[in-house]
Amino acid sequence: MRTVYGLWFFYKKLIIPSLVVSIALSYLMTAASNFLIGIGISYIFLTPTFHYLTYELKNPNEYYFYYNIGLSKFILWTNTLVISTMIGLLFMLI
Amino acid sequence: MSGLHVDSIRKRFGDKQILNDIFISCKPGQIIALLGRNGSGKSTLLKIIFGSLSADNKFIKVDDRKIDSLYQKRKLIRYLAQDNFLPNHVKIKNIIQCFCDKKNAALVMENNLIVPSLQKKVNQLSGGEKRILEILLVVHSDAKYVLLDEPFNGSSPLHVEIIKSLIKEHSKDKGFIITDHDYENVLDISSTVILMDNGNTRVIKEFSELIEFGYLPARSERIQPPNL
Repeated sequence: MRTVYGLWFFYKKLIIPSLVVSIALSYLMTAASNFLIGIGISYIFLTPTFHYLTYELKNPNEYYFYYNIGLSKFILWTNTLVISTMIGLLFMLI
Repeated sequence: MSGLHVDSIRKRFGDKQILNDIFISCKPGQIIALLGRNGSGKSTLLKIIFGSLSADNKFIKVDDRKIDSLYQKRKLIRYLAQDNFLPNHVKIKNIIQCFCDKKNAALVMENNLIVPSLQKKVNQLSGGEKRILEILLVVHSDAKYVLLDEPFNGSSPLHVEIIKSLIKEHSKDKGFIITDHDYENVLDISSTVILMDNGNTRVIKEFSELIEFGYLPARSERIQPPNL
């Protein structure tokens, strides 16, 4: 359960920026594609980008918190990619 | 053979050999002081032991179990990084519950230094308060070995005393490896002193050896700590 909390804390930080930029991008491209599909596609690509900017560049020290609870960088990256793809697909299927 | 055994650690950054066949052994009940000048490789060694930094060569064994990857060490080793590492956007209460098991989480949450901040987020704490929280979390973890990189850095004298007694108390069933430039306080609680010098380790028996091997200036003899 503690691992799930750790993954949630890590991912939580990426949701708002990814979602806001995805909505903005999709709104700008409504003429070219469906609004929700646009959000879904943008979200799938933007979350890993925010992961990189937030954790690899801005706060690399935060990784030590997650390492200490047994979460490696590989697990954290996999978590970001899998959850973002699922949320992105959900938007696309609505 | 019980204990944490670190052997044949080699690490090179560019042309500089930082660590050269390092050997360290730590058992529960032991507090090892790892001293050395700036750039001598203390933090690098702790990161390699913890598993967050790769080494050119390493052999790490905990209680007859060879350790290769970080998450195998989950209940074996915890590491206090040199700089604050707690996620800023999470409430302190949630961080404690995530980091420690139920019993230890309750102990941390009952601590007088933490009680007033339980509902705050980490970014509402000062640097010193964050440090105390990090130390409490790492020391109260379920790990058998704890690596502390500069635990006294940024802590007030009162907090330093609290940290020292906390480490002493938990050293009954945990092994500690501590590095800090506040050598007086480190020596005060340590049972073994190791000096890192030119990529090698030296076990220090006499306080005068710290001067002899160039870690302390000659005038330091006046402040002989009790353990040496």
